[in-house]
Amino acid sequence: MKETRLGEFEEVMLLLVGILGEEAYAFKIAEEYETQSGRATSIGAAHSTLDRLEAKGFLKSEMGNATAERGGRRKRIFTITALGKRVLKESRDFRMSLWSQYPAFADKLNYLGAF
Amino acid sequence: MKTRATTPPPLAQRLLLRFLREDLAEDVMGDLEEDFYRTLNHKKPWRARLHYWYQVIHYIRPFALRKSSPRSLNHYAMLQSYFTVGWRNLSKNKLYSSIKIGGFALGIAACMLITLFIHDDLRYDTQYPDKDRIYRMYNVYKENGEVQRAVWFQAPFARAMKEDFPEVEKSGRFLNSELFGAGSNQLRRADETDNTYEEGFIYMDQELLDIFKLPVIYGNPAHLLDKPRTIVITKSKADKYFPNENPVGKQLVLNNDRDNPFTVGGVIADVPATAHFTFNFAMTLQDVEFWQGEQTTWYATNYHSYILLRPGVDPRQFQQKLGLITDKYLLPMLKQSGRINAEEMAKNFTLELQPVTDIHLYSTGIEDGLSHSDVRFVWLFGAVAGFILLIACINFINLSTAKSANRAKEVGLRKTVGSHRSNIIYQFLTESLLFSLISFVLGAMLAWLLIPYFNQLASKSLVFPWATWQLYPLLFAAIFIIGILAGLYPSFYLSSFKPISVLKGNLSRGSRNATTRSTLVIFQFATSIVLIAATVIIYRQMDYILNKNLGFNKDQVVMIQGINTMDRQRQTFKDELLQLSFVKSATISDYLPVRGTKRNGNSFWNEGTRATEESISGQFWKIDHDYIRTLGMKVTQGRDFSPRMPTDTGAVIINQAMAHELKLKEPIGKRLENYRGWEIVGVVEDFHFESMRGKIEPLAMALEPGQNIISVKVGATDMADALVAIEKVWKKFSPHQPVRYAFLDDQYARMYADVQRMGRIFVTFACLAIAVACLGLFALSAFMIEQRGKEISIRLVLGASMKSIFRLLTVNFLKLVLIALVIAIPIAWFVMQKWLEDFTYRTEITWDVFLWAGVIAVAIAVLTISYQSVRAALARPVDKLRSE
Repeated sequence: MKETRLGEFEEVMLLLVGILGEEAYAFKIAEEYETQSGRATSIGAAHSTLDRLEAKGFLKSEMGNATAERGGRRKRIFTITALGKRVLKESRDFRMSLWSQYPAFADKLNYLGAF
Repeated sequence: MKTRATTPPPLAQRLLLRFLREDLAEDVMGDLEEDFYRTLNHKKPWRARLHYWYQVIHYIRPFALRKSSPRSLNHYAMLQSYFTVGWRNLSKNKLYSSIKIGGFALGIAACMLITLFIHDDLRYDTQYPDKDRIYRMYNVYKENGEVQRAVWFQAPFARAMKEDFPEVEKSGRFLNSELFGAGSNQLRRADETDNTYEEGFIYMDQELLDIFKLPVIYGNPAHLLDKPRTIVITKSKADKYFPNENPVGKQLVLNNDRDNPFTVGGVIADVPATAHFTFNFAMTLQDVEFWQGEQTTWYATNYHSYILLRPGVDPRQFQQKLGLITDKYLLPMLKQSGRINAEEMAKNFTLELQPVTDIHLYSTGIEDGLSHSDVRFVWLFGAVAGFILLIACINFINLSTAKSANRAKEVGLRKTVGSHRSNIIYQFLTESLLFSLISFVLGAMLAWLLIPYFNQLASKSLVFPWATWQLYPLLFAAIFIIGILAGLYPSFYLSSFKPISVLKGNLSRGSRNATTRSTLVIFQFATSIVLIAATVIIYRQMDYILNKNLGFNKDQVVMIQGINTMDRQRQTFKDELLQLSFVKSATISDYLPVRGTKRNGNSFWNEGTRATEESISGQFWKIDHDYIRTLGMKVTQGRDFSPRMPTDTGAVIINQAMAHELKLKEPIGKRLENYRGWEIVGVVEDFHFESMRGKIEPLAMALEPGQNIISVKVGATDMADALVAIEKVWKKFSPHQPVRYAFLDDQYARMYADVQRMGRIFVTFACLAIAVACLGLFALSAFMIEQRGKEISIRLVLGASMKSIFRLLTVNFLKLVLIALVIAIPIAWFVMQKWLEDFTYRTEITWDVFLWAGVIAVAIAVLTISYQSVRAALARPVDKLRSE
């Protein structure tokens, strides 16, 4: 049986793939992660996670177009599969249900800090 | 620089491609490059490159790595195939293979022997349990810019060291001077009558045994020598004199001195050959006093002194404190003896410590009268071993690349059916490892077989260390390293062939790499020529030493030793010898111009200048009236001693060096003094009585009866007859003691035994190196000629003479040899000049040395090549041409 749980970093990667759409390839994703989260990562780390998500069936990839600044090499574009979308949604729903049970001052906590 | 800075670092790219999964290569490379140029926008180029490296390193993750499992499955089969192909190749080209392996094995055997030799030298004095804390003391005296280092100390010195410095745990002395009865003696058990001549007597403190902790077989280690007139003997001597009994408490008589026998205090294991001083019999110094007050005087220096520092004492810091000894003991002594410059002398005098493990190799410049090796020899032989191995490796490389044409098709085919370049490199490396393995096995066996001869040559007692386990990992490491080193170049060269050109037959057969090969041949021959020149010069120097005009005549002189047991009958014995028809003359004196006879040290002044002048140190020999005549020395001024001159008892004959040092132009009739005044009646021409490494020392000779040695000059007759007659006379006087004689010229040659030995070892290995180089040249020329077989045949058909073919084939190689000669001459000249500087009396390096070296090298090369050339020129052209 395939692993369906999402790690926090995996979840962010999946979201970033969704956000970037046509431009979702390893370098861009890593760059976007750095600008959005303010934390450093390497392309290799991002790629490694993307590869794992692909193996789990949440993502699929195909070779896209080439540009001059990458020496005429093609990009590997990742897109979210239906399964991927469902897992993201389940994850969000789970959190929302937890949030709804949480006392009123919830917004003072930074739950992303767990990473 | 600019172009490099603005592209991603190629090395990092190559690394990435090396490990990255192929299907990821394109997009990852693209991503990283994009990232690189992005970074370049806001960072310095070097930061961007560093960043690129960072990204590459971060791609080393399991998901991105190339999967290698399918290939490793195949490894074993491929390896097997490599071995099979390697073996087939080896057995197909028997000549080349045997030269490759034979040369290699020879080189390895030589290397192993030299390694054992060096290892043995490095092992000296490491057998003592406290070796890190044992130090030998030596003194340094600076005088007029000259520095003298010597190990002899005053009798009370060792005790003073221990009493004055708490850092010193133990201190001990030994005394090995023949003046005091050490060295050789006549020995027998107290209950027997026949004397045996024994060597290796030494005086020693019990505490010295405590310091060195030599293994004790019989007796209490703490009380071996602590009673007066005790003696410690080694195991082999104990077995000789007291077979199957415990010798402790038994008595031994020295030199017929029945009233003062020695009691055996203990037996120790034989002193190993790797000790800087050895002995067979150690007599105690307990209660010994060689003359009145000898043990307390600070005037006479005779004792080798050793100390054992307490654990944790830093020898350097300790050394700084040693001025105390000078101030407390030496300065008062100097002042007391009336030296006006006592303060200054004391200031120029320092004491130093030498670790016991350094003595064997690092004692150059320290006078100690013991025989040592020199760390320079270790380096020299190490270098020779390295060169032999290098030459053997070069043979391997040359032959492998030369034969490449024959392997080219194989490489081409392998590549065509999908072999990577790396596979082919592996293949050739495997092959070279195979060669290396076989060579090492043969080399080790060869070394093992040759070890007895090598021991003879080097006068060592080495054994091949089959039993030490450390040998095997070392051997395997060596097999691996040498195999890889020798195979590296050929494998890269062979694997670089392009399949298409090779299979089309475009590769000019083996000649493409002629430049590299030529360079290597030049290197081999340059090395060989340096070795030949060195050999010639070493031989010349040895010849010079042995046949130089020595100032005395060493031929036809028999030294009969051990006449001290005859006591008063010595003179009668001499008279009887003179009765023999072939004895020309005879002299009784213990001082002879060869090592191993008596020496002393004396201070001389022109009479009456003792208080104001520096002393001149020199030898003071006791001779008789026939001495100068018997040894053929030349009196240049004045006269020899004469029995008709009763005043000669107060007269001396000096050598020219003494006259020079005393600044006497007209020495005859002048007076000099040491412990008393003497009148100079004659001057002899300087003669060598010490090694030619040093200058001839000043010498004065006075009349006084000798004790131990009578030297007999024999006329030109059969030496064997003379010896029989001499022995007959001896038996009349000393029936219980076998006669012991030596020839003066033999004894003289023995002084240079170490020089000769080193020379012989060097020459042997030089010859070996040359032989290995020749083997390589032989195979190379055979190959070249084989390659040009068709050309030669066509030339022959068209009417070329044998001479012209021969010239054609040899000239190329001779050119290489000549280039090697030009390179080698300055190197050889420089190196040998350095070696000769060690000798005060030496030959000059003349140009004909290099002429000889060149002629020999060319001759060897021509001989090596000509066999093949002549064979090629004599071959029937039709045999070679028929096939097409």
